[in-house]
Amino acid sequence: MSLLNVGARALLANQVALQTAGHNIANVSTPGYSRQSVVLSTVQGQFTGGGYIGKGVNVDTIIRNHSELLTRQAASAASVSAGDAIRSTRLNQLQDVFAGGANGLGAAINDMMNAFSDVVTAPTDLSARNLVLTRIDETAGRLRTAAERLDEIQATVRYELDGAINDINTIAKSLASVNEQIARAKGSGQPPNDLLDQRDTLIRNLNRYLQTTQVEADDGTMSVFVASSQPLVLGTTAATLSIDNASLYPGSGDLKVVFHTAGGASIELNEGMLGGGEVAGLLRFNNSDLAEGRNLLGRMAVAISESMNTQHRLGLTLDGQVGGNLFTPIALADARGASTNVSGATIGLAVSDPTRLAASNYEISFTAANAGSVQRLSDGKYFEFGPALPPPGYTSLNALFADQGLALTITGAPVAGDRFLINSLQGAANNIDSMVYSPRDLAAASPVNATLGPNNTGQLKMSSLKALTNPPGATVPVTLTFTGPNTYTRSDTGAVVHNYVSGQPINYDTAVPPTGWSITLSGSPAAGDTVVIGNALNPAYGDWYQRNAGNASALLGLRDVKMFDDATLADGYAGLMAQVGTRTQSAQFAAQVSEKIAAQLEGDRTAVSGVNLDEEAARLIQYQQAYQASAKMIQIAQNVFDSLISSMGR
Amino acid sequence: MSNTFMRVGTANMYDNALRNLGERHSSLVGLQDNLTSGKRVVRPSDDPVAAAQAERALTRITRIQTEQRALEVQRNAIAQAEGSLGDAVNLVQEMRELMVKAGSGTLTPNDRKTIAQQIQSLRDQFIDVANRKDTNGLPLFNSLGSALQPFLGPLAPPPDYSFEGLPGQSAADTVSIPLTLDGDAAFMFRPQRDGVYHASISTTPPDRQFGTTAITTTDPSLVTGDNYQVVFSGVGPGATPGTLTATYTITNTTTAVSLPPVTVPDFPADKPVTIGITTIPGLSFEIKGTPANGDTVTLEPSSSVFSVMDTAVREIGGSPHSNAAAQAVGQALANIDRGLERMQAVRGYAGELLNRADRITGNQETRSTQLEGDRSRAEDLDMIKGISDFQNQQVGYEAALKSYSMVQKMSLFNFIS
Repeated sequence: MSLLNVGARALLANQVALQTAGHNIANVSTPGYSRQSVVLSTVQGQFTGGGYIGKGVNVDTIIRNHSELLTRQAASAASVSAGDAIRSTRLNQLQDVFAGGANGLGAAINDMMNAFSDVVTAPTDLSARNLVLTRIDETAGRLRTAAERLDEIQATVRYELDGAINDINTIAKSLASVNEQIARAKGSGQPPNDLLDQRDTLIRNLNRYLQTTQVEADDGTMSVFVASSQPLVLGTTAATLSIDNASLYPGSGDLKVVFHTAGGASIELNEGMLGGGEVAGLLRFNNSDLAEGRNLLGRMAVAISESMNTQHRLGLTLDGQVGGNLFTPIALADARGASTNVSGATIGLAVSDPTRLAASNYEISFTAANAGSVQRLSDGKYFEFGPALPPPGYTSLNALFADQGLALTITGAPVAGDRFLINSLQGAANNIDSMVYSPRDLAAASPVNATLGPNNTGQLKMSSLKALTNPPGATVPVTLTFTGPNTYTRSDTGAVVHNYVSGQPINYDTAVPPTGWSITLSGSPAAGDTVVIGNALNPAYGDWYQRNAGNASALLGLRDVKMFDDATLADGYAGLMAQVGTRTQSAQFAAQVSEKIAAQLEGDRTAVSGVNLDEEAARLIQYQQAYQASAKMIQIAQNVFDSLISSMGR
Repeated sequence: MSNTFMRVGTANMYDNALRNLGERHSSLVGLQDNLTSGKRVVRPSDDPVAAAQAERALTRITRIQTEQRALEVQRNAIAQAEGSLGDAVNLVQEMRELMVKAGSGTLTPNDRKTIAQQIQSLRDQFIDVANRKDTNGLPLFNSLGSALQPFLGPLAPPPDYSFEGLPGQSAADTVSIPLTLDGDAAFMFRPQRDGVYHASISTTPPDRQFGTTAITTTDPSLVTGDNYQVVFSGVGPGATPGTLTATYTITNTTTAVSLPPVTVPDFPADKPVTIGITTIPGLSFEIKGTPANGDTVTLEPSSSVFSVMDTAVREIGGSPHSNAAAQAVGQALANIDRGLERMQAVRGYAGELLNRADRITGNQETRSTQLEGDRSRAEDLDMIKGISDFQNQQVGYEAALKSYSMVQKMSLFNFIS
């Protein structure tokens, strides 16, 4: 009798085992599935006089082969890998905006500058002037196009972020409902393996978007926390996330993840605590990489247009007018006051020295009305300003920013605790446009001219003459009279004897930077030689200035002015390319490394939880044999019973 | 539970294989990209430093091309200017021959008028040569800035020719030469620089010889640029019979200051006398011949080579007899030689500029080649290495594909019937 029971139990147990093996085989490719194994235990033996007789096998439970530690590690690593991968993809897109080579933006800028060379050799040739104007227009157009592409990339990123946040919210809701099902199922006494797998898959998917930490509660629910602090799913309730502009500096373009509790409160999440995930990667890309790309492009647009405009205004057109602006002057946006500012002070910005501009945002914190600190966000350097600070501190905010190439206008009185963000370079390249349309309006001529005295007997020759103020006003005419091979006097400084070195510029005054004019002579003079610097528009000189190309030479010379962190204007774009390229390359390396780590941890996890078909095949055979043996057992039990009955019956 | 150290999940195994296949495939595609574009650095992230180097090298190469194009224009202009100076020198040589012919004692005044007209036509060509422009409309002798016609004249004196421009020569630098030459230095005379003076004599009868030598400049810095007159008076018999005495007074007619009269020591009456005049600041010359009362020698500065030619035309054409013609010819030859010196000097400088242009071109070509080498080293693909890398990757990819298909065939299920 009991043999029948034992056999029946064994049959059932093996059937369950076979089914479990079949379930494993069926789910071999299901992602997130943890293989299940049957846990068999022996039924307690019955006490008899002859010993404890075993009563067969029992299926205790179906166990889910699962290591919580490995699962969490694998999910976290996958999250970091997803974040790095998407940041690397977007950076590749950003890098394509700044392509190099003969068709790149850098080549366009250089072609524009080099076109002035044709005007220098043929100042009255209208077609050479037209070429310069066309190139200026093209360069402005290309800068605008690059800025528009950056805007498109930002729009794409925002769109992706919104989609990711929607997915996160949906997953959070599903997690809450799965938690509820698991809590209910826990009461039944057996672990709901497939529900647990489903929850793990949901968590894994959630981690792809945003890294989370999980804490299991006693009732079987798993609470999920984002940014190591906020409970996205607490038991069976789910909160929501959204993407908003940073609240500290609204309108600055910075995005932040905002956590909305079920009760309605909103908390802005600190970006540094987000960890991995696509949302974190995209945020990092938007707030730092894209911002840097924008700043670099904006600085290039501002520096080139400001320096060319300034130099163009130092020249005369073919009609004898002072040159206008070559590019539309770029108006820098005001500094953004923090939303926590108490005073209503505003800070306006203008470019004071384009060669000192840094491609960076700045954050100003006031500790008093005229003291505080400034942080340059590109490299994190701090500057202090205050009324009596010794160097390297600055005595005023204006002096601090003068070193950074900007001129500030503060309206109103800031108070302690006020903060401002300067990110005016970001939109600067969007509005650049060329302004000169007629070739006659290109100011190629210099407003000052020089005459080497016709009675000179020395070897003086003129290397260059630059006007530094237009119109020259009272700085001309000035006569230099040489008293010896290395000395000269000036008509405006009386008897003062100046030193002359061939090839060194002679400036009108000693201001820094000098004003008026600057002339460079070469060769050795004889005593009595003279040089007269005069006004080119003096009627005595008629229309001679039309054939002068001094200002065009000076515009050509802008190529060698150090403008972009000690790189010249011509080399500025190469530096920009390298900066963006380095970021992209390191993001690529990071993505490769994190992908390898994620793959390795996934391998470790599946070493425990994954289904191995060969193993399942072996088990199938094993349990099939056991099933057959159990069936045989029943048959034997039946034979025994039959023989018992047949021997007892008539 | 069995030890999980040696386990591999089947799905994971396939995932890994797929990932490796994907990696190999994408690196194969990347290498193909390199091969088809010929570049090792296709995007800046492949090697940011090399990308920046290549970009900088490209910038410098285009800059050298621009500088060379400008140099060609400059070289053409200077070559034209040098050629014009050559033409000018030839014209002057022709004029010299005509002037020498005009000094011959056997010509009639009409012959001299004919010669004067020939010199006039050569002078017209000469001023056209001086006012030549280059292909872009810039005058060749623009100096530091001038009107479209740098040389203006003849004007009402003084001076009768003016240089409408800013005298001076611009310097050459390491990559360019000036576009124009100094016209003032080539064709104009300045008192304190050259001190070129012309001496004319008052009308004398055809049989009396009276004239001057060429006026030499002893010290240009002392030359005042004023007009002077030497008037002879008190010509009469000297103390010894057969001698004559004379007194002359030098007057600066511009400032109306006279030097005290100088009495010439007695000289024989039958031979021409040579009187040296050295008291005019910076100048010295000799008066040769037999003076008479009232004979005047007028000294005027010449403002330019054109003035010398005009004066020669006027005096040679209008000289009544060969003595006067000889005076005019002597002065013209001496002064035009001074002009020739100046033209040759500027021509020499132009030749040096052309040589310099050649040297600059040589340097730029060398630099250009070096820069191209830099750029190529930074971003171009070594084709041999590229192809061999590609072959390696191809083989590796094939091996990965084969092993994937082979492992897939091996399963316990194949052996369970």
